[in-house]
Amino acid sequence: MPDLVVSFMKNNYVLKWVLQRVTALFLIPLSFWFIYNCICFQNYNHQELQIFFSSFFNSFLFLFMMVSMLWHGKLGCETIVQDYVSNFSLRKISKNLINIITIIMLFLVFLAIIKLNIYS
Amino acid sequence: MIENRPLSPHLSIHKKVLTSVFSIFHRITGIGLSVGSILITLWVTLLGLGPKYFFIFEFFSSTFLFKLVLFLWTIGIFYHLFNGVRYLFWTYGIGMELKTVYNSSYIVVILTIVSTCLIWLSAL
Repeated sequence: MPDLVVSFMKNNYVLKWVLQRVTALFLIPLSFWFIYNCICFQNYNHQELQIFFSSFFNSFLFLFMMVSMLWHGKLGCETIVQDYVSNFSLRKISKNLINIITIIMLFLVFLAIIKLNIYS
Repeated sequence: MIENRPLSPHLSIHKKVLTSVFSIFHRITGIGLSVGSILITLWVTLLGLGPKYFFIFEFFSSTFLFKLVLFLWTIGIFYHLFNGVRYLFWTYGIGMELKTVYNSSYIVVILTIVSTCLIWLSAL
């Protein structure tokens, strides 16, 4: 059964197309929120940033934005690889590399946010 | 999916028209922003590791190269955002007439320039 789920997710290009647009919709307000905060961040030191992330609302929005951003980026990069890389094995390696990088980045973001919330 | 299918779109064959140029730039900025999301992850990771490690970010953030990358990231994110909104409208078949497509392209450029300028002016 899990193999069936993995296979469904892996080859379902309609689902990927929909997810690409759903994550894009999420990213519209979240990007504005993040860009606005980026202006404030440049004057913040470590402690002030820690206070910013100690708020559950800020941490949740940042986490939600990063998950949407990384997923949106993964789907977009996969599409580009599919369109421009004709060699089958190179295409497979590239797509695997994109997946690995995305998983590592998601893991790091989750760990950092949890740590910032626990120790604040 | 058919393996070893022909490449699409053919970048070097087609004549560059406004719509294709915007599409190509959407993809280029998309790749750039994906790299940018890795940098944001590294930033929050350093923040989570503590002030001793966050110093590495503070050191790089004071350099000219960092400001340049940040400026290009701002242009990229606004362009990708506004052009992406246009694509979302197209998903529903809205604004696909040739005249509207061209007009919305110009609006994307104007919004990108204005937003980037506003952000950087408010940051100064």
